[in-house]
Amino acid sequence: MKKLLATSLLLCLSSFSVLAATPPNALVVAQSLDDVTSLDPAQGFELTSVQTFTNVYQRLVQSNPKKPTELEPTLAVSWVSTPKSLTITLRKGAEFASGNPVRPEDVAFSLARVVKLNLAPSFILTQLGWNKDNVDSHIQKVADNKVKITWDVNVGPSFVLSLLSAPVSSIVDEKTVMAHAKNGDFGHAWLNDHSAGSGPFQIRQYTPHEALVLTANKTSPGGAPKLGMILMKNVPDAATRQLLIEQGDADIARNLGADQFQSLKDKPGVKTLALPYASLYYILFNTKAKNNPDLANPAFWKAAHWAFDYKGIAVDLMRGQFQVQQSFLPQGFKGALKDQPYHYDPEKAKAILKKAGIKNPHFKLIVSNQPPYLDVAQALQASFARAGIKVELIPGVSSQVSSEVNTHHFEATVSAWGPDYFDPNTNASAFAYNPENGSKTLAWRANWQIPELSKMTLAARAETNEAKRTQMYETLQRKVRENSPIVVGLQNKKLVAIRSDLKGYVQGIMPDMVYYKNVSK
Amino acid sequence: MSTSTYSVGAKRRLWIGRSRQLVSGLISLALTLFGLLIFTFILSRAAPVDPVLQLVGDHASQATYDQARHELGLDQPLPMQFLHYLGRLSHGDLGVSQLTQQPVINDLMRTFPATIELATCAMIFGALFGILLAAMAVFKPGSWMDHLARFISLLGYSVPVFWLGLLGLLLFYATLHWSAGPGRLDDIYTYTMTQHSGFVLLDALRSGDPAILKNAIAHLWLPVAVLALLSMASITRLLRAVMLEESNKEYVILAQAKGASRLRIILVHIFPNVLGTLITILALSYASLLEGAVLTETVFAWPGLGRYLTSALFASDISAVLGATLLIGTCFILLNAFADALTKWVDPRTR
Repeated sequence: MKKLLATSLLLCLSSFSVLAATPPNALVVAQSLDDVTSLDPAQGFELTSVQTFTNVYQRLVQSNPKKPTELEPTLAVSWVSTPKSLTITLRKGAEFASGNPVRPEDVAFSLARVVKLNLAPSFILTQLGWNKDNVDSHIQKVADNKVKITWDVNVGPSFVLSLLSAPVSSIVDEKTVMAHAKNGDFGHAWLNDHSAGSGPFQIRQYTPHEALVLTANKTSPGGAPKLGMILMKNVPDAATRQLLIEQGDADIARNLGADQFQSLKDKPGVKTLALPYASLYYILFNTKAKNNPDLANPAFWKAAHWAFDYKGIAVDLMRGQFQVQQSFLPQGFKGALKDQPYHYDPEKAKAILKKAGIKNPHFKLIVSNQPPYLDVAQALQASFARAGIKVELIPGVSSQVSSEVNTHHFEATVSAWGPDYFDPNTNASAFAYNPENGSKTLAWRANWQIPELSKMTLAARAETNEAKRTQMYETLQRKVRENSPIVVGLQNKKLVAIRSDLKGYVQGIMPDMVYYKNVSK
Repeated sequence: MSTSTYSVGAKRRLWIGRSRQLVSGLISLALTLFGLLIFTFILSRAAPVDPVLQLVGDHASQATYDQARHELGLDQPLPMQFLHYLGRLSHGDLGVSQLTQQPVINDLMRTFPATIELATCAMIFGALFGILLAAMAVFKPGSWMDHLARFISLLGYSVPVFWLGLLGLLLFYATLHWSAGPGRLDDIYTYTMTQHSGFVLLDALRSGDPAILKNAIAHLWLPVAVLALLSMASITRLLRAVMLEESNKEYVILAQAKGASRLRIILVHIFPNVLGTLITILALSYASLLEGAVLTETVFAWPGLGRYLTSALFASDISAVLGATLLIGTCFILLNAFADALTKWVDPRTR
């Protein structure tokens, strides 16, 4: 088999080598693979992993790639809902790559193993009140092609559907996975570098820090992919990725910096794409910081809103990598506020500080030493200085920065927040929610006590009337934007370059929304 | 009769002496490694980084966090953690990397050959040209050859290696097409050639396909050249200094007075006397190449040990960091021991 593959690839290459440097039936993607910890949907929570899940697995429902706010049935065909349950009918004749049929048992197994394994993304499903003891009773087969999902917490079925569309809810092939289970791990160790799904591709080979090779799964229920192979190569350096795409040795180069992007713009044979992305950049103040009581003063927060040079960073400094966004839902999310009430006005910030009697305003800003965080932080240091606020920059390794933030050993930080699933609650429960149950939400990290907002966040999550729900999120965004120690300023764009002969490449605003199925060249 | 008894006794003493030397050598090796382990372990735990947070991310729930912390054994006291680590180590188990979810030993076996291949090739060329350049420099100190040697070694010493790598790629890969791109092989071969040894050159030879070998060399030569320049620079600098110092010694002046040619003086008189130092320089240079040409490996997307260790460090992947450090430490110590033995063999003064 290997020899056959080698020969056919070689033949393809030799006949096409003049026209293209990458094999004609394979897509070569240059990106960093260093983030991957696991390719098991119950654990993988990083960019590369969730993008792989979209192409290797399918979920019951998924966002429409062309219109992401709409959910479309994928492994499900239809569902019937009550306020506390969903009865889902499965697609007839759907098969996994192994040839096994997709059964209600597979759905129950896939969702229950996430809860029982209790790994990083499990919180998405445990929000429904599921735990390792009760989860089996909440997901049950009711007919040969029907599964019933129930929950006790106060949320509506549309919220549950959006959780079921998250990468963690990928449906795995129980028979294949359990054949590889060891020591009660539900096949976790095996799934770390293998796949057992029904998506358009399957994992052929994964070598950590080197490459991830996917081959076509022609029997995928949504239809076979156009290309036979996807080859994701680990190229950790962005400048090297630029060279590869320029030379035609890669078809897609991901996560470029603003510099690489600009210099690729006019290169022949290369098309650059600045794709809207749902990640928000914010500055967050610790309101209980030792030795800096000013950070708890709402007037200080207000001044910070006016001392943030939104446009200067988005337009001039990080050319094209950011757009201005001041509310906690990113553009592209249902209910995201479009108006931007703040602009850079250092004089106004000074006046607010003076009126509040804050003398010698200053803070220490810890930030990851990676681009673009450090660039943004340096720009903020300059823009705050003009408003009379002295910022001491403390760059560090990102693991160190997040450790310090999560133990409240910091005064302020610049960081990014990406949504975990495609529903406004994912961000509301970070920016406007601080329950006293140990959840380390963003509001918790800021030591921001907000019983009222927390209640509103829960109420919005429970609301079943869509229009009313959207309205509630709008109100929440306004309240946070009006008065909070978290200043949201920028929304990220993903800078990607593709070869201009590539067709059908689609990438959406959520981290997992990368679709290789219809790509051809 | 008495002569033979004497000789047997002397041989025995010699043998005992040698084995004592060997045993004490092994003990000091083990102690050094143990010290290295303790040091790395303490450093990794003292770092202001939470490995659990790195593993589960900062969106995960408290329950998930607690479970991961327990599984990593981080809820136990520090000495216990170290003892457990040593216990596993004695079974050859270096633990599982959090980042790759693979046994660290497998990761090391995958990444180390790539580094050895790169480092060895770079060392061969670096040493060859370094020695040649140093000899040229001392041939006539202050001449244009000397200046050239000093210039080249200064260049190799002071230019940042990642910049040199990127520039090399831009010139030889992007513009002139003399070199293949980053990585060890073209994609077409990477996933079709069976890798037996992990050394691409050997595997390519074994595959019997000249196209693969050609491709492997096309990928290899540029990073090798960059690293060779780096090691050549340090070899030339050090060797030149040592040889110049030697040229002022009386035996050289005597040889000059007797009318020996400069070439003869360098080759026959000076060279044997600096051989011991040269071996040490080469060993250290090779060890530093092995411990990871981190930046070169990053620029050339070379999946070697240096890159593995760096990404493990960034992710506070302690098992991986400890495993890689142990491997590098062992290499360092063994290379040093080997260089010592070799020096003793070639230079009777050090015995």
